[in-house]
Amino acid sequence: MDATVGIPPAVTEETAPFWDAAREGRLLVQKCEACEAECFPPRAMCRLCRCRDIRFVEVVGPGQVYSFTVNHQRWLPGLQVPFAIVLVEFAKHPGVRVVGRLRGCEAEAVKIGMKVDVGFEPGPDGFAIPSFIARSDSDNE
Amino acid sequence: MDKLRVERHAVISGVGQSQIGRQVDRSGFQLTLDAILAAIDDAGLTVADVDGLAIFPGGGNANVPGYSGANLYEIQDALGITTSFRCGQVEGASLPFYGPALAVATGQARHVVVFRTVKEGSAARNAGGRPAYGSTKPLAEGPMAWWLPLGALSPVCHVAPYATRYMHEYGVTREQLGWIPVVQRAHAALNPAAVYRKPLSMEDYLGARMISSPICLYDCDVPADGSTAIVVSAAETAQDLRAPVRIEAMAGVIDGRPSWDQWQDMTRVGYATGKALWSRTDLRPADVDVAQLYDGFTIEVVWWLEALGFCEPGAAADFVAGGTRIALDGELPLNTWGGQLSGGRLHAAFGHTAEAVRQVRGEALGRQVAGAEVAVVSNVGGYEAGAALLTKF
Repeated sequence: MDATVGIPPAVTEETAPFWDAAREGRLLVQKCEACEAECFPPRAMCRLCRCRDIRFVEVVGPGQVYSFTVNHQRWLPGLQVPFAIVLVEFAKHPGVRVVGRLRGCEAEAVKIGMKVDVGFEPGPDGFAIPSFIARSDSDNE
Repeated sequence: MDKLRVERHAVISGVGQSQIGRQVDRSGFQLTLDAILAAIDDAGLTVADVDGLAIFPGGGNANVPGYSGANLYEIQDALGITTSFRCGQVEGASLPFYGPALAVATGQARHVVVFRTVKEGSAARNAGGRPAYGSTKPLAEGPMAWWLPLGALSPVCHVAPYATRYMHEYGVTREQLGWIPVVQRAHAALNPAAVYRKPLSMEDYLGARMISSPICLYDCDVPADGSTAIVVSAAETAQDLRAPVRIEAMAGVIDGRPSWDQWQDMTRVGYATGKALWSRTDLRPADVDVAQLYDGFTIEVVWWLEALGFCEPGAAADFVAGGTRIALDGELPLNTWGGQLSGGRLHAAFGHTAEAVRQVRGEALGRQVAGAEVAVVSNVGGYEAGAALLTKF
């Protein structure tokens, strides 16, 4: 399914590393140099210890679907529907929740707790957008 | 002054509304003037008495066409008044009258008019359908940078995961929550100004097309054209006012991550505001006679019923089931003007506040709740959340 219909993100000093890595298929989140807390979206400051010395680290799957919606409405001409939007958390990365599309299964097959792999796909205006990949059924029983 | 309960030094003195409809073929500016003049008259004041203006949205944060219908300075110019207080509000501090109440209570002004004008109904018609959120701008800025590139181009998509999670954790069904829009439509039938007044059956509700699951068409408020103005006055001016209403308590707390996607527990929303509200009054949930709870979507009513303590967490579905408790003659009559689901998306609890004032005054005509003296009004839900108790003067 084509995912290029949408409104492209405004890239900021804080979010540029995320969008750059997204083009390489890597998911970067903020990590505090002082207390090691991770945070997404990047805020240029650790929201736990208020340290402003932060770096970016890569998060790899699997993640788990915290919640979801299946969008049926064609908000813009050419938007292909239905598609699932998932909110994904990572057991080894507390504080990180990432919103993305879901691939690898029918939209209606999405479930809370479902295991997904990190992925990206072409989005609007040449950006790569988060697009998680459903793990095989045996991983999701 | 009782510095701990400063809102008691303010009253709501007037409410006024323009013509409201799916489409009203007059400018937002004209609708705004209609509402403001009606509100000032309702208060028993004259235009020259007004010395403060407040507007929502304050930051010019118009993500959709028709979202903001008038400019504060142009309105002041049209009214030909002097103001000593002006305020552009974020979606909250969460209540239309929050900033104005603080202003009149602290002597910055005596009579502040706050207004909200929408032309979203006309904008949707002109766009050939409900416009995409963010379509007024070339790029998705701020928090929307994480949603709009995905094709999640409406607040429906941002709120829907809350409903998914809530229904999953508590085993709630659409059949249970459907009573909220069904009962509110019955109330709208009694409100001549409501946008949709034809009866809505549970069968209609369950058969409606899905927008962003589990939110269907009738779980969404209806884009409308219209303006609401509210006059907030210093309590000491009460003798000059036709029918003031007390602000018994108001609160707006954000205690989690202020983001649609990052809010930690999507099954519990507005609890900090509820706790703060009840800490400011001796009244209790059982004292509330009528509830005007924000309903951009059905699930938002669910949040407020639980966060304000009208039922236990997870029990809202049982509370609304059958519709008797939330009907006009029930223990907690809900959104008696039809709410935004049927009355129209007047937004930011302006419609809810207007109705709460009418109910407490006994001026709600054919939908009046007998003996209503205490009304609760809430705004938004989600990370931004405000609530207030309005009581008979």
